[in-house]
Amino acid sequence: MSKDPAGTDLLINRERVDTEFLRNKLKLKSLEVKKTFNQKYPHVEKFFAKRGIDLGKIREHSAKIITTGALTGTLLFAPPIGAKSLPPISEIIKNIGDLKNPSNVPQQQILLDAISQILPKRIGPLDRGQEKTLEQTFQNIIGVKTKANLEGEHLNTTYGYIGAEQHLMRYPGDTMATHPKLPEKDEGMAPGRGAWGYFTSSRSQMSETDVKREKWYAVVQTLYLPDWNTRQPYLRDWYKYRKVLVVNTVNGNAVIADIADSGPAAWTGKHFGGSPEVMNYLGGPRYKKGPVIIFFVDDPNNQVPLGPVDYNSEYVKNFLGPAFNS
Amino acid sequence: MNMSKIFWDRLLTLDDLDREIRKVAKTHEEREEIWHLIDEIVHHKAMGCILDKLPRDHHEEFLTMFHNSPHDEDLLFGYLEDKIGQNVEEILKQELGSLAFELLGEVKSSKK
Repeated sequence: MSKDPAGTDLLINRERVDTEFLRNKLKLKSLEVKKTFNQKYPHVEKFFAKRGIDLGKIREHSAKIITTGALTGTLLFAPPIGAKSLPPISEIIKNIGDLKNPSNVPQQQILLDAISQILPKRIGPLDRGQEKTLEQTFQNIIGVKTKANLEGEHLNTTYGYIGAEQHLMRYPGDTMATHPKLPEKDEGMAPGRGAWGYFTSSRSQMSETDVKREKWYAVVQTLYLPDWNTRQPYLRDWYKYRKVLVVNTVNGNAVIADIADSGPAAWTGKHFGGSPEVMNYLGGPRYKKGPVIIFFVDDPNNQVPLGPVDYNSEYVKNFLGPAFNS
Repeated sequence: MNMSKIFWDRLLTLDDLDREIRKVAKTHEEREEIWHLIDEIVHHKAMGCILDKLPRDHHEEFLTMFHNSPHDEDLLFGYLEDKIGQNVEEILKQELGSLAFELLGEVKSSKK
């Protein structure tokens, strides 16, 4: 085994100190902010304490409220403000089928037209009716079976903003010197590992699957799931490399990606992340943020390949047959 | 539907801060812990900013609405606009912008 070059230990310790220093600084700041707040508004502290809520952890409370609302139907059946009256699924599917000569209309445009009938004006959570209609739309146009809710699991939101992420280290020692990169505007490599660790233990062990998993990875906010901490390790295993369909709702570009990291932070205004390759395919080298739909791919036999959805592929064309002939 | 959301989330786009944190945090656990700490600071600052502007008589009513629907932008911003009579979103944006600047300084200084 090769020995670390001189000075590396010092560097590692220095980095460790930096992180701990920042963490302690933020902890201190958080305590100060809370103390000042509670001194100024003792009645508010009392209000939350009476209800067993910590204002600092209000996000957990919000997740519980919305989940309960959805279960009892108060939110489920009340369309979000700004939502359009949704045409019946059959009508949207029929509209797709009514295009007698699909070769004259780009299939991507057909998808965009269909989803524009379904999505609310404001980017945010979709109700179950909208999600069901989109599932059928994706299956009919792209040929990929997707679910917003798969095996009882549901993302924080299925319609939100995606942001650019960096490449992830595939194995210990992986660097941009050997890692494939985009020809333009590449984001470089993240300093830390993804939420599931390395994709493989060494370069020599790296398979084509590992390469593709890193290349076409997506990031979702598992850390904000209301049951993330209470349903471990099941949820971690369930989300690890779970395939998702990512659709750019502005241009219809779509990618099959796998979940390989958690994030982004809620205060970035983004809900998902995409690898440099995912982002490049969705919107080009300058695309850093944009609205997308993300649904789980229902692929129990692992038959759907990771990577771009090619609307002109034989697979998609063949799949379109039943939809256009119905 | 299963969304973890606070009604002021839309006003937050602290990308620069996130970029710096990613440079400092070496593991995703560290990164998430730092994200949560910042979240706590943001919630207290945002709520403090709102309560500073909202007359004391309305605090209880607002807190009850917030407790019942912390995600509801239309309801809560609507209520605040009505009771405060100013552009609350703009005021909050400025407050959170200053906080972002301050936090960014903290993160950058920890790298020296």
